[in-house]
Amino acid sequence: MVVLLVALIATAAQSEGPDGGIAASDAGVAVAQGAAPDAGQDEESLRRQLEEALGKDAAAKAAQQQGQSAQGTQAPASATGGAAPPVPLFRGGQSLNPDVSAILDAEGGYQRRPLLFVNGDDPVLRGEEGKKAAGFAVQEVELAASAIVDPYFRGDVFLTIPNLEGLEVEEAFATSTSLPWNLQIKGGSFRSAFGRQNGQHLHVQDFTRRPLINAAFLGADGLRGPGAQISWLAPLPFYVTFYAEAFSIGAPDQPESGTLPPPVATFGGGEPHDLTYAGEVKAFFPLGDAWSVYAGLNGATGVSPGLFQPTNTGPVVFGVNRRSYLVGADLYVKWKPPNVAAGYTSVAWQSEAIWRHLDDTADMPGGWDGGLYSQVVVQVARRWLIGLRGDILGIPTSSALGQTLRASTSITFQMSEFARVRWYLEAEHAASGSSVPGVVLPAVQPADSVASFLQIEISIGAHGAHPF
Amino acid sequence: MKRLALLAAFALLLPRPAAAAVKVVSSIPSLGSLAKEVGGDRIDVESLGKGYQDPHFVEPKPSLMLVLNKADLLLYVGLDLEIGWLPPLVLGSRNPKIQTGELGSLDCSRAIPVLDVPTTKVDRSMGDIHPLGNPHYWLPPANAKIIAREIAQRLSQIDPSGAATYQKNLAAFNGKVDAAAKKWQPMVDKMRGVKIVTYHKSWTYVSQWLGMEEIGYLEPKPGIPPDPDHLFRLIQAIRSEHVQLLLVEDFYNLNTARLVAQKGGAKLLDLPTDVGAKPQIKDWFTLVETILTQLSGAMSRV
Repeated sequence: MVVLLVALIATAAQSEGPDGGIAASDAGVAVAQGAAPDAGQDEESLRRQLEEALGKDAAAKAAQQQGQSAQGTQAPASATGGAAPPVPLFRGGQSLNPDVSAILDAEGGYQRRPLLFVNGDDPVLRGEEGKKAAGFAVQEVELAASAIVDPYFRGDVFLTIPNLEGLEVEEAFATSTSLPWNLQIKGGSFRSAFGRQNGQHLHVQDFTRRPLINAAFLGADGLRGPGAQISWLAPLPFYVTFYAEAFSIGAPDQPESGTLPPPVATFGGGEPHDLTYAGEVKAFFPLGDAWSVYAGLNGATGVSPGLFQPTNTGPVVFGVNRRSYLVGADLYVKWKPPNVAAGYTSVAWQSEAIWRHLDDTADMPGGWDGGLYSQVVVQVARRWLIGLRGDILGIPTSSALGQTLRASTSITFQMSEFARVRWYLEAEHAASGSSVPGVVLPAVQPADSVASFLQIEISIGAHGAHPF
Repeated sequence: MKRLALLAAFALLLPRPAAAAVKVVSSIPSLGSLAKEVGGDRIDVESLGKGYQDPHFVEPKPSLMLVLNKADLLLYVGLDLEIGWLPPLVLGSRNPKIQTGELGSLDCSRAIPVLDVPTTKVDRSMGDIHPLGNPHYWLPPANAKIIAREIAQRLSQIDPSGAATYQKNLAAFNGKVDAAAKKWQPMVDKMRGVKIVTYHKSWTYVSQWLGMEEIGYLEPKPGIPPDPDHLFRLIQAIRSEHVQLLLVEDFYNLNTARLVAQKGGAKLLDLPTDVGAKPQIKDWFTLVETILTQLSGAMSRV
């Protein structure tokens, strides 16, 4: 597969190169060519001859020199403007620097007990098991750099510092821009296209915390890591894109003693050669100007590292290296009038469900578990958004921690495109004990809890636009 | 055998060779309208944004990627007008022809004499400004001619066998613009020296063309919604400067503007800025004529 991809890129680079060169020459040449248009067959043979010639050039030792002289004659398209010369940009306006930006998410908050199913980018107050906590947190600092690399790739790097601890590479990847047949590849370390939430960064969220199912099934950091993705836009009358992905995901950190066991990790176990595979299909239907329906089906498989049960003598692991399977579905429905002449109201409803199957092992029975969330975000005025979300984890079981329910609300005030203040409140109920026979787990104390945060989010610099 | 059948099925789904017509996709309908003038029957035109939408805030719906996927030429306003929605669509289109820097990607601002280019260091305390200059340039006839010339030139490169047609159409278009300008001249003359207030700073080019004087804006800073203090000062300025017209793009909410116009004693005009803003505005000529008719009509009644 890798060889195929490399070959694809190479052909794309070869076929694009000469076209661009000819096209970039001045209009006079183009007109002269147009005066005697070649028949289709002649074009084919000319193309073949050009490809051969280019191949020979590449093979020849003097290729370098020739390449240089060829480049010299290729004026950039912008230099061959019309009768009037293009207006030059003011001094300092031109730069080959990437778009660089920094995004800060900080808050003050209160929690009745430490948060369950913590995502890597959730705010962490200095809480102890069973105790309440209040104070400040710097949820995440994100540094982003993105630019077009060359005629064949675009590059994106997102570094994050979650809760002021350690610099993480949230994503760093290259995306192809010139592959034929509606294909696109992504390589590096990136967020999987699994579901809707998983692919999004923190500052795209409408709530301070991500849904329960994300941390529970896709991992604290989400389904992301070093990997490769190939996607294909189907040539249909409506938008459908297929994704295939492979990741090398490492095992999660071992929990400290005295803490509640983390949720059973879906991925990151097995032998060093075991990869995590994922596949997704996304379809979009615009219903008039105002309505949009975006739906996805997702699947993934990998090897689970097992359930880590902290004991005084170190963690005991159950169900090591079981094959895991995820299936998911997501739906996003948005109503937003095409302009604001009648007001700024919009409504977005988003729901996702994930089910997981783990195989049996001698020390732990397999089975299905799952969960879902549903949220509505209403823009009530130009600068005000109100969100409501319900989460349920443990349908029919939740692998270890029993059933967890959560309701949350957020009120967001957007001062500008670059700053917002958000109040977030969640109420959570965690059922006690283990749902797995033979595994004894401490109960979550107290079972019912609330947490609330006042979050500020600012963005400085040039940050690329986000997809729908 | 099965594998062959699969391959055949796959091959059927592959994109077919493009039809004869050059597929042109524009970010806003006005550019598409100008392209149609020079492209004629040799091109098919489709626009991503609609004329009744704020061109800063088009929703980047994946269905638009599908439109871009089949494009031979993408026309965009540039100067960062579409920065908030167009780049992810172009990347997602999986169309190598229209990627930045390729022949099929034309920034229509490239030969425009750009106004409002910042002369000092800019930052976002000044609002959601355009560091490269004001992108609302497609209404004055002189700029329309420049855009049409750029499009004709690029179409000739993409479709060399049509080069002569494009040049002929361009000449015809320029003649049409000159004739229209002659017809419009009495309306244009009426506007010279007229003091105006606008909602967003998107009339600069029209003001320069018509010789109107911009006294202020409903937005205290570009992209920042009006606040009472600013509006209070603005109403005072409207009164003391004897501002006659308050221009608002028809995709904005009119409530605030109506109040300001009433309190300041200016006439409120709700104007289209793009082709397709109203069903009867089918091309660039109708668009400009509609604007001029409304403007000069308002002045006759003042």
